[in-house]
Amino acid sequence: MKLPLLYSDELKGFYKSKVMLFLWVGLPIVAVLFRFVQYGSSGQAIPFTVISALVVSSLAGTLAAVMLAVSIINEKNRHVYELFLIRPLKRRDIVLAKFLSVYTCVAVASLIAVAVGVAADYTTANAFPPTILNDTAQSLAISLSMVAVSCSAGVLIGIASPTVLVGAILVIYGGNQISVIPLVPTMLNLPEAPLFTVALAAAVAASLLISAVALFERKQF
Amino acid sequence: MASGNGANTGKPFVVLRSVTKNYFSFRALDNVSFEISEGEIFGYIGPNGAGKTTTMKILVGLISDFTGEVRVGDYSLPKQKEEAHKLLGYLPQNIAFQEWRTVNHALTTFGRLSGLTAEQVENRIPEVLELVALSDARHKKISQLSGGMTQKVGLAQALLHEPKLLVLDEPLGGLDPLSRYQFKEVVLALSKKGTTILFSSHILSDVQDVADRIGILSHGRIRQVGTLNELKARMTIEKTIEVLLSHQSDKWQQLKTLNGIKSVEQASPGRIHAKLETNADADEVVNSVVQSIVKLGIKVQGVTLLQPSLDEIYLKHVQEGENA
Repeated sequence: MKLPLLYSDELKGFYKSKVMLFLWVGLPIVAVLFRFVQYGSSGQAIPFTVISALVVSSLAGTLAAVMLAVSIINEKNRHVYELFLIRPLKRRDIVLAKFLSVYTCVAVASLIAVAVGVAADYTTANAFPPTILNDTAQSLAISLSMVAVSCSAGVLIGIASPTVLVGAILVIYGGNQISVIPLVPTMLNLPEAPLFTVALAAAVAASLLISAVALFERKQF
Repeated sequence: MASGNGANTGKPFVVLRSVTKNYFSFRALDNVSFEISEGEIFGYIGPNGAGKTTTMKILVGLISDFTGEVRVGDYSLPKQKEEAHKLLGYLPQNIAFQEWRTVNHALTTFGRLSGLTAEQVENRIPEVLELVALSDARHKKISQLSGGMTQKVGLAQALLHEPKLLVLDEPLGGLDPLSRYQFKEVVLALSKKGTTILFSSHILSDVQDVADRIGILSHGRIRQVGTLNELKARMTIEKTIEVLLSHQSDKWQQLKTLNGIKSVEQASPGRIHAKLETNADADEVVNSVVQSIVKLGIKVQGVTLLQPSLDEIYLKHVQEGENA
């Protein structure tokens, strides 16, 4: 089982990449900017925590998916995988390690952004609104569910696409649409919607990953 | 540089039988068969697009959809790919690493993936880097290294786990003469330790220097397999005796009258080429040429029966492949 080894290896590559740097630092900054814009407009103020969660789900998911797809396409076209595939390991481990490492990075970045939101709300109100922690947990769960779907779509598109351009277009237009699927229970106002959202996201992400692994297994390098 | 023959046991370690591979309607390999003995260095030569890389990719398990039989050690490919992978090291033609990796990081990862423990990898990295003369670059980013140095990192990752079979696809491309010499020394040393080596190259003199046997591939078909001497013996080109004159003289023209000589011509000033008739006994004709030279009082520096070079053998078989 080489998955833990591949996972920690990929993690070392991704965590200091430029895109991740944006997610680590940029996401909280973007959320703060939204907060300022919101202050300038009329109407009821949305908690900063919720804004952070929104930013995470919309930006981080897309960025992570693009990063995954582009990285896989580049490595595929440069024959980087040949050195991995001639070693005694399962091809599926390469795919899963890529997904898990990026997902971990994005999840941590999301937690940082949301933590900044929680801190900002606490500083402003000097106390947590009674439902804020529950709302935050739900928003974060939904956001991370959408990111999981985006990442798995990025992996599949990366393996299937011949060029970076095709991959980027497919991720931006296709990946984003797919990542909205888990929101259906919330949109339909179903009871226990967040739970259904997480379950649906897990199912969609798993299906996409299984397809990606199957495709990667058949690929001739 | 001496040719291999180190720990060649004669026992087949690599077997390819009737291997055929199609890319849609294009036949990349057509019924390719050869064996490589344990500890043998097998030079694989052929023009661009002949199918060398395809053969190697099949052998290392990167290509699975082919027909025929491929065995590495006791394992059959592609079924027992994972077991076979424990035995082999591979240097691809276009080696590439992820851009963020340092030499040390890449070797650590590939060593661990090949089954070495963290401690074994830590001990082995300085050894292989010294072997490929790259000790100074251990902590450098691979993306900052030259093409030749990257090629050496590629060789280092192939050697890390001391594989029983080393498959090297154009390993000498981009290396300077000193590095090429060092590389050949490494290959010969590994062969002496019992490593089986398959390598392809366009630089025929390098193949000639290290290979125990040579396979010539053209248009997806194996044209010849054998030692260099076997290939020379099989070559049905006109045999030629070369006479190097010490002083310019026209007396050499009288050699035309000797039995077994078809024609005599001056290839360049002081270099006379006497072409032999097809059925002539080369040794007898050389004797009679030497006797005539003495009798005629021609002063010479030497008399040699010219052998076909690997270049000539290669060109002949590749041209035959093109005409087929």
